[in-house]
Amino acid sequence: MKNRKKKTGFIALCVTPAIVLFIIFMIIPTIDVFRMSMYKWGGYTADKTFVGMENFSKLFTNPKFYQAFQNSILLIVIVTLVTFCLALVFAAILSREKIKGQNFFRIVFYIPNILSVVVISAIFSAIYDPNQGLLNSFLSLFRGEADPILWLGGQKLVIYSVTIAMIWQAVGYYMVMYMASMANVPDSLYESAALEGAGRISQFFSITLPLVWTNIRTTLTFFIISTINMSFLMVKAMTNGGPDGASSVFLSYMYQEAYTNSSYGYGMAIGVMVFLFSFALAGVLNAVTKREEIEF
Amino acid sequence: MKLKRVLSVVMAGAMVMGMTACGGGSSSESGGSAAASDAKSSAVESEAAGSEAGGSEAEAAGSEAPAESTGLSGTLKVAAVETAYGQDMWKEVCAAFEAANEGVTVELTIDKKLEDIISPEMKSGVFPDVIMRAVGAESGLTETFVKDNNLIDLTDVLAMNVPGESVTVGDKILPGFVENSITNPYGDGKTYLMPMFYGPCGLFYNQGLFTEKGWEVPATWDAMWELGETAKAEGIALFTYPTAGYFDAFLYALLHESMGNDKFQEALKYGEGIWDTPEAQAAFDIVEKLASYTESTTPANANDNDFRKNQQLILDNKALFMPNGNWVIGEMADAPRADGFEWGFTALPAVTDGGERASYSFFEQIWMPAGAENQDLGKAFIAFLYSDEAAGIFAEKGGAVQPITGMTDKLDGDNKLYYSIYDTGAVAVMDAFATTDPVEGITARSTFFDPINSLVTGDKTKDDWVNQIKSDSDALRAALK
Repeated sequence: MKNRKKKTGFIALCVTPAIVLFIIFMIIPTIDVFRMSMYKWGGYTADKTFVGMENFSKLFTNPKFYQAFQNSILLIVIVTLVTFCLALVFAAILSREKIKGQNFFRIVFYIPNILSVVVISAIFSAIYDPNQGLLNSFLSLFRGEADPILWLGGQKLVIYSVTIAMIWQAVGYYMVMYMASMANVPDSLYESAALEGAGRISQFFSITLPLVWTNIRTTLTFFIISTINMSFLMVKAMTNGGPDGASSVFLSYMYQEAYTNSSYGYGMAIGVMVFLFSFALAGVLNAVTKREEIEF
Repeated sequence: MKLKRVLSVVMAGAMVMGMTACGGGSSSESGGSAAASDAKSSAVESEAAGSEAGGSEAEAAGSEAPAESTGLSGTLKVAAVETAYGQDMWKEVCAAFEAANEGVTVELTIDKKLEDIISPEMKSGVFPDVIMRAVGAESGLTETFVKDNNLIDLTDVLAMNVPGESVTVGDKILPGFVENSITNPYGDGKTYLMPMFYGPCGLFYNQGLFTEKGWEVPATWDAMWELGETAKAEGIALFTYPTAGYFDAFLYALLHESMGNDKFQEALKYGEGIWDTPEAQAAFDIVEKLASYTESTTPANANDNDFRKNQQLILDNKALFMPNGNWVIGEMADAPRADGFEWGFTALPAVTDGGERASYSFFEQIWMPAGAENQDLGKAFIAFLYSDEAAGIFAEKGGAVQPITGMTDKLDGDNKLYYSIYDTGAVAVMDAFATTDPVEGITARSTFFDPINSLVTGDKTKDDWVNQIKSDSDALRAALK
């Protein structure tokens, strides 16, 4: 009994610093975001006025917020779907198949992840350049010298241009994560499946996919969080929300309002919406992807 | 057992919350780093970024000044943004002020990202005494203080004698620089922001190309459109712009030309029905037509990352004119250029034949936050900045020109070209949109300037643009100070 008490005391002692830090740097600031969203505040001085839910009612009537919301959702959906599929397929090929230069491909796919967003945006602005860009130069082989396509200048096109950069950046990271869990699937399962006459594709769907499902579920939450964060960085570095707000996303709109329009409280209201939205989306995704865990 | 389960659920919940909190809350940090990528979002702001400052330590330039007792003492906290002019001039001016006032110590904070340095202290209630930061910066630091009524009235500084001289500050400053809506943001006849360094903004072009082709720089917009057709035949676009933000100086000057000063002042206060007047419509028509003459790839590069590519169009003779300020010369100093390239600079063409030609005069401001502790000392410091001694240091060490009498006579070379624009008949415009309480979701930039990108790409019509201006103006008018 005494021993157990001692043990509990020791554990409590060990986790206290972490919990204290967690409360100070996570819980309190989060609550503070909620609190600040009910104030009208410029952000630099101590003058704050309590306005209740006014910031939210303004938010819900502002078309720019909906534009940012739409763009964010579009990015989350497309980036998640495409990255997920590509990463899974590449991981399956690189971990199951014997192909030449396997390590080379692993490195090539992973490199974008090491690059900083500023470098990536510089690379893509060179690719998207309307006059000397890689993409337009290549397309001119088929299109001739027609009007150049404005990859970052077209209102309808710009968000897809950002999407491509984000997918390019993210595939390697998720590929490595899937490869790690695929490596744990015992070869014997594949061998016996092959003996039973299962082809590569049915092996993938009947063995690989169910056995890495837990991992996939975790990465889906990562997708939501990282897309929301990365989209801000990409947009800030590549277009700054332009042209004319066509590529603004949740956090770029929040940044614009909180830090450039003297509307810190309103910015925090956007922050609250982002928080609730990502929380809810992660919850929904978690619920719909729940399967009975298969062990091996 | 049950306790353990409850505990683990709570911990897991806290973890998820923490992770999502990261998603929502990390914007400020990431924003900081991303914003560092040289945010040159508006013409007014552009001066803020620029060349690296030389590393040499300030010498006590004022040491030869007689150290008389002025009765001032204490420690003055000065915060200044580091711009293309560099740090040295500020260090020397502070040293000169110290030398002129025994017993005074100046604590200078100077940084390109000034807000990041001084914000944490300000949030806890400790303010610098004097802040040098212009309106129009992306951070909106100055606007926030104006909107929050957190400024000290500096009208009495205008009546103070410039230290060591027999002239008052107010008399020494050029006319117009303290009677505008930027320095008197509340329209109550009181000056809250003092004008510091200024520079004319207008249209930049390749003088060499005009000489080679025998073209005249257009004096009216009609002549401009004719030139547009001539240039188009040669495969050159008439116009480009670095980013839509550069239209601020352009639009102020254009509105002044087309509306005249009275209506222009009314427009700056978002006067009811002002955008429906024929004068305002004439300005919108000009912008619409200019959009149709704009180099077609401009919007694709009109962002903080790629705006230099648009500026390069002028150097490559692919476009004729762009709105800019004289910092563009330093910015493009190392860029390749067409043979015979030579910078040219002009005010905006007149709306009617023989009508007014305007050039926006961009100037930076110095001001004191309401929380400043050493108010008298701060005011004395500001008065000192207009002395010949300080102006000499600013001009010599940084190339910065203050709007004080006699300064333009001392200029030479390129600078003379730009500052003499007003001597050749151009009207100096130096107002900005009136101060309002913060209006959430509406900024001048997203209402007035950003949609010009959409006019060029054809995603919005002039009517869409003007309607947006009208509805946002209604909201801004209601929030006027």
